[in-house]
Amino acid sequence: MGHWGWLIAIYLFLGGLGAGAYLASFAAEKGLLGKKTNLDRLGYVVSGPIVAFGAFLLIFDLGQGLKKPWLIINMFLNFSSVMTWGIYILSAFICVAFIKAFFLWKKRQAPAVISYLGAILALATAAYTGMLLAVVEGIPFWNSYLMPVVFVVSALSTGLSLTSLLAHFFEKQQVHEMRVSQVHLGLVATEIVALAAFFALIYSGSQGTIAKISANMLLTESLSIPFWLLLVIIGLVGPLAFYLLQARSNKKVLLTSGDQNSALNSERGGIGLLLCDGAVMVGGLTLRCLIIFAALPVWNGILS
Amino acid sequence: MSTNKQVTLSRRNVIKGGLLLGTVAAISIMPIKVLKAEETVKENTTVKTKKQIGFSYDEGKCIKCESCVRICQETYQWESDTPWRRLLKNDKGNALSMSCNHCADPACAKVCPVKAYSKRDSDGIVIHDASKCVGCGYCLYACPYHAPHIQKKTGAVSKCHFCYNLQDTGSGPRCVGVCPTKALTIGDMKELSKKGNLDYKGLPSSKITNPSMIIIPKA
Ligand code: SF4
Ligand code: SF4
Repeated sequence: MGHWGWLIAIYLFLGGLGAGAYLASFAAEKGLLGKKTNLDRLGYVVSGPIVAFGAFLLIFDLGQGLKKPWLIINMFLNFSSVMTWGIYILSAFICVAFIKAFFLWKKRQAPAVISYLGAILALATAAYTGMLLAVVEGIPFWNSYLMPVVFVVSALSTGLSLTSLLAHFFEKQQVHEMRVSQVHLGLVATEIVALAAFFALIYSGSQGTIAKISANMLLTESLSIPFWLLLVIIGLVGPLAFYLLQARSNKKVLLTSGDQNSALNSERGGIGLLLCDGAVMVGGLTLRCLIIFAALPVWNGILS
Repeated sequence: MSTNKQVTLSRRNVIKGGLLLGTVAAISIMPIKVLKAEETVKENTTVKTKKQIGFSYDEGKCIKCESCVRICQETYQWESDTPWRRLLKNDKGNALSMSCNHCADPACAKVCPVKAYSKRDSDGIVIHDASKCVGCGYCLYACPYHAPHIQKKTGAVSKCHFCYNLQDTGSGPRCVGVCPTKALTIGDMKELSKKGNLDYKGLPSSKITNPSMIIIPKA
């Protein structure tokens, strides 16, 4: 059986995180995260380096490739391998993200085609991290078309969190748009639904008994503590509750004052929001690790 | 004027957004479709037209001497925890000598990013070229039979190659040659598949890779 572990999990996480950060800044730039925003730059800036670092980590997981790195260039060769697709997608994304960041640094408007190309490649990067696992028929737990869906939603969510966190610490202009929390609420809710559907599909039996045993490991057995604590409570339900409360109290403010003043929200949002963003990222990393660790082969190699 | 412009702009944004979403859907759903389609095509054509040799294991004849495993190790010097051939046994007295099954639909070859695997047209043998392998481990997950292993010393994968070099000079594989009771034999899959398959005792469904091996269970 395989030997994938932490490095691959972190690589998949960073791939999604970088892609999500790019998309967060892209959304902010397009005005989808509120009229006033400070999220429209840092996501772009960090996305390339994060994905590049993730890809760099992967090299340390190679057996012979680590000793003979010139062999790695051949990883562009097999078009039927999802890993090869990933190599193309990641390289292209890293290039475009660096170009976009270069324009930001020069304080010039990047050509629209660059921004959009980057956004498409970011989505492809996030989807690829799930596809890599989803096409493996030898691991029934991974072999689900909902796997890329879960990974893409988680990538968007963690990317938005990272960008918000960075903006809080590194942007001079501080704005807190209710819109960001609303979007994040939507993302976390979607991720919960997608994850629930993922497990429902497995327990429906469509992927066989081995997939169910993997799922049991997460829900009730050896991996259940990180699953429920780090992923579900800290990474999903906690942020969901927080964003819900925020949306609620914001409504009240709206009713009483009758005007959506973003400064008002920032007081209450502050530290809670930061914790929330951190928690979302902890959940995202936990998700990747758990999925990798719960892999069981379709056949355990012994005669029954 | 300005309102007009805004309207068109936002509509264009909507269209672009739609395109983005479409791409993501295509990226995540297409490969599964493509890969599945590829399989059915292969199943319908290649398998039946191209020649494919395979192993046959007659459980009733096997005396569990493990000569097949030993000769393979002596010849190819694989590390003991990364075996090319194993004799599987359970406590009910069943046995199965198994290596790589040189599948008609090799999952290993499909996932390997560097094309280290090749499948010969002449006889369907799946050969792994260790000098190309980067050791990413993807094929270890893809192969349902645990045939490829990463050798500790080299960091590269190795697996059974059906003694293709011996077969090219007219003799058979070492394991088959050494088997004292002829429990392990080889043949053309067109004939062998009439006598059996590999769906046996918890082994994975042969639909995944179409293995070129049959087992004749003991009575
Ligand atoms: S048994 Fe495994 S390694 Fe051998 S051809 Fe089939 S999928 Fe590939
Ligand atoms: S470990 Fe080697 S043979 Fe297996 S998929 Fe990776 S590069 Fe190919």
